[in-house]
Order: sequence, then C-alpha cells, then structure tokens
Amino acid sequence: MATLANRLKLSDFSERLTTSRQRRENFYGYLFLTPWLLGFFGLFLGPGLFSLYLSFTKYDVLSAPEWIGLDNYVKMFSDDPLFYTSLGRTFYYAGVGVPLGVIGSMFLAILLNAKLRGLATYRTLFFMPSLVPIVASVVLWKWLLHADFGIINQWLVDIGWSDPPGWFGDRRWAIPSLIAMGLWQGLGGTRMIIFLAGLQGIPESLYEAASIDGATALHKLRHVTIPLLTPTIFFNMVLGVIGGLQVFTAAFVATEGGPGFATTFFSLHLYRHAFDYWNMGYAATLAWFFAFVIVSLTIWQLRLSRRWVFYYGS
Amino acid sequence: MAATIERLPSTELRADVYRRGRNRVQKAVTYILLTAAALMFAFPLFWTVSSSLQTWKELRSFEPHLFPAIPQWGNYAMVFSSVPFARWMGNSFFITAITIPGVIITGSLTAYSFARFNYIGKEIWFVLMLGTMMIPTQVTLIPQYVLFFNLKLINTYVPLTIGSWLGGGAFMIFLLRQFIMSIPRDLDEAALMDGASPIRILWGVLLPLMKPALTTVAILQFLGDWNEFFGPFIYLNRVDLFTAAVGLRFFQNIPLETSDPRDHLLMAAAAIMTVPVITLFAAAQRYFIQGVVLSGLKI
Repeated sequence: MATLANRLKLSDFSERLTTSRQRRENFYGYLFLTPWLLGFFGLFLGPGLFSLYLSFTKYDVLSAPEWIGLDNYVKMFSDDPLFYTSLGRTFYYAGVGVPLGVIGSMFLAILLNAKLRGLATYRTLFFMPSLVPIVASVVLWKWLLHADFGIINQWLVDIGWSDPPGWFGDRRWAIPSLIAMGLWQGLGGTRMIIFLAGLQGIPESLYEAASIDGATALHKLRHVTIPLLTPTIFFNMVLGVIGGLQVFTAAFVATEGGPGFATTFFSLHLYRHAFDYWNMGYAATLAWFFAFVIVSLTIWQLRLSRRWVFYYGS
Repeated sequence: MAATIERLPSTELRADVYRRGRNRVQKAVTYILLTAAALMFAFPLFWTVSSSLQTWKELRSFEPHLFPAIPQWGNYAMVFSSVPFARWMGNSFFITAITIPGVIITGSLTAYSFARFNYIGKEIWFVLMLGTMMIPTQVTLIPQYVLFFNLKLINTYVPLTIGSWLGGGAFMIFLLRQFIMSIPRDLDEAALMDGASPIRILWGVLLPLMKPALTTVAILQFLGDWNEFFGPFIYLNRVDLFTAAVGLRFFQNIPLETSDPRDHLLMAAAAIMTVPVITLFAAAQRYFIQGVVLSGLKI
C-alpha cells in the first residue's frame, strides 16, 4: 500500500513536473515563434486566403471586389488564349532549361571532384556568373546576343553562318536565348556546390571496390557516381522546377514578354493582368491555378522519385 | 596453384602500368574540359568589362575589338552623371542594412524555437513553414500589394523589408535551425542549471557559436536584396527611391541628352552593380559554400 501511495505521489509529482515543464516549453516556444507566426498569418496565409476569395471576384483595387462566382475560372479555360500559350512557353522554358541545368551542374561538379591541382580556381571561375545580379546579366546577354553588333553573331558570321539568329529579337530564338543565359548563370552556382557536397559523401571504398573489379572511369560514373547522386539530382530537380516555372525577371527585363508573345511566360501574363490591366480578381485566379500546378508537379516528382532515387545504406 | 602464384605479380604490374597511362589520359581530358568550361563562363564577364571601356563607335563597328583601343574610364563617370546610379546603389545598401539585422534577430528566434523547444503544434508549424517554400510568390503578391496599397505604404521600403523582421523566410529559418541542432544541448542545459533564462541562453550561449551560420544568412540576405527586382519594381515608382536593379533596367530605356547608343554605359553600369557582390564573395568565399552545405543536404 505504502509503495503504491508513494508511486501515486511520485507519478503525480512527475506529472506536475512535466506539465509545468511543458507549460514552460509552450510559453517560450510560442514566444520565440511569434515573429514568424505574425508573418505567416499576415503575409502568407491571410493574403493567400484573400487571394482565393479575390479569384471569385472582379476587383480593380480602387472599388470594392464584386462577387462573380466561377466566371474567372471559366474565362481562364475558355476565353483567354494567352493562358494556354503562356503555360506552354513556361513548360518549354522549364522543361528544357531545368534538366539541362541540373545535368550540366552535375557534370561540372564531377569534373571538379577529380583529385587534381588548381581545381579551386576553376570552381571560383564557374561560380562567378551566379554572382552577377540577374538584371545586370540580362543587360550583358542582350549585348552579347545583339542581332547585328553582338560578338556572338559576329563570330557566327566569321565561321560561315551568314544569317545568324536574332536571339532575343526573334520569336523562335528568344526562349533559347533565355535558357542559354540561365545556364551561364546557374550551372556553376549553388546547384554545382550541392552536387560537390553530394559527391564528397560517396564512400571512397565503393570506387576502390569497383577498381578491383576492373571498372573503367565510365563504368564508375555510370554504376557508382550517378546512382549515388540520385538523391542530389532529385533535390535539385524539385527546386529547379519550382524556380524555373516562376521565371519572370529575366524575361521581363530582356524582352518584356516579346517579341510578339514569345516570352510571355505564365508569371508575366499574370503580372500584366494584375498591374497593367488591374484585373486583380482574374490575376488571383491565375495565381491560384499556378500554385496548384506547382504543388501538383512537386508531389508528382516526390512520388516518381521512389522509382529512380537510390538512397545508399537504406 | 604454383602457376597462378607465379603469374599474379606480372599481371598486376601490367594492369598497374595500363592504369597509370589511363590516368594520364583521364587527367588531360579533365583539364581540357574544365578549361573549355572556364572560358565559356569567364568570357561574358571579360566582355562586360571590355565593352564598358570602349567607345560606342568601337562597339558598333563590324569587326569586334576584344580590347579597347584606349580604355574609356570616363564611361564609368558618365553612368553616374547620366542617372542617379550612386543614389540607387545607396538605396539598395539601405534596404540591406534594414533586412540583415531583421533576419538575424527574428530568424534566430524562430530557429531557436524550432530547434530547442518542445511545444504543442510545433511539427505542424514546421511543416507549414517548409510548405511556404513551394507556393509561388504570385499567390500572395496581389493581396499583399492590396494590403500595402491600402496602408499607404507604396513608395516606402516597408513592403520590401517587413518580411525580414518576421522570421526572414523559410529558407533562412531552416538553415539556422539546422545549425542550432548541431550545437550540443549540454551547453544549454548547463546554462539552464546556472539559472540562465532561455533568452539569455540564446544570446549568451548559442548566438556566439552561430557566427558562421549568421554570416551565411547575412550574405544570402544581402545577395537576395541586391538581386531582387520584382518587389522594388512594383512597390517603388519614384525614381529617387529605385534600387540598383530597378534603376539599371530603367537606364536601359530612358531618353538621355544624346541619342547615341548606350551599350558601353549599360555595360559599365552592369559592372558597377556587380562589384559589391564580387567583393563580398572575395572576402567571405567560404560562407557562400557553407550556406549550401548547411541547408541543402540535411533535409
């Protein structure tokens, strides 16, 4: 009986201890979380929900929103040709640019991971373009790719292409020009550093084992390096797709969506409706649709990853 | 048995010689590829500087000059006299001077909360925080604009800086949290035994140890603000308030006194705008790498 009473008391005490401790944890946890919570509700969740509401209204900022039900959604799918073209161009840009960028960064990192002299200098050189502010980079690339006086076209003429592309000024070449610029900026940047860190995590013993089995460098690349890098490839693909689909600044500063509507990506289309035509309601509809697309694609990539991403040791 | 033992050394030797020859070829191929890549990355940078020092007539002749005949340093002065570029750079610096302390203070507080306290609902908040990274900025952009418009905060720096004082964004918080989690808890516990309050533990124990992570965060914040185009572009429409990024785009299109081509001046402005970033990189290279290693890999 005594022990039971003791136990009861003890457990009572320990419970009180945990609850008062718990109270303390709750208090300080939430106290320090407060700035972020304010931001989350005030700048993210609140605006996000308000924008969902706006997507069912007609709203030009100056007069009150007017409820129009699903009209914006109907218009988006049936009465806005630029909706489809801008979506298509966004997928073109991200669909070509992101895989090229991720694979390119991976190969640069693999080259840099060789145990050779002077590689730190190369790494710095590769990293430099990612430091150039994007607006500065656009100014530079518009000059490099200037149709008449750009040095690239002058070289192309020298090597015998008498009629080189007009790049940013040419409907067919405007998106490839943006992709080229993006690759220049992005290949050697943080993505490459992430790959380098991933490469350093591959156990040396696997390469030794492969060497003993007589594997060539290419074999090792195919059967050791790349499989073990799949988690890093996946991580970079997910981030790359989220970022690539939101492309705005480069296209806006380089071409303002032109020539014609050749570089009117989805975010530019949305921007025009919001800030040129003040169709805030319709722009909110586009924004929500866009969020839906990006989140679905991310989830789809996560599910797909189970088939090709290989986690060493698990 | 005997035969195998006899044959082994010579086979191994041959394999070794073969391997060494192969290594040399591999090395050469690696260097050739690296050098080719380096030239492709470096040339546009070189061309920016070279173009910025040429006259527009040199630039617009049909034979490109790799180097200016006479370096036109005056082009740089011309940038500052044609547009208020110094002012715009100053504005960009001003914004970073507000946001960097913001993200350091409120980002550390949030990260501290996530890393060290066990409270009801923590996991949910943490997942929500990471989820915010997935949602495109456009979703919150319009209502945020409406909000700041109604608060009469257009043409102020409040919309551009307030976020940094409210945690500073998921990425920064995540990075700081990862770093705090790598600091042994014993240190907190010891300070707690000595009667230190949680805020004292953060200030006296953790923050001094977090210097590398805080430096990384400060650098990332600087780069982000320096680079940022869209926010300043929609929230600022007075020329004297522009940031360098918005100003450079403005400089592309505005009429100047002369109608001569201004490619050389634009190149000079692009170079000027890149100088602070390159300087920072030269001074603090390892923190650039550290940020990536801290954040990207330990999810």
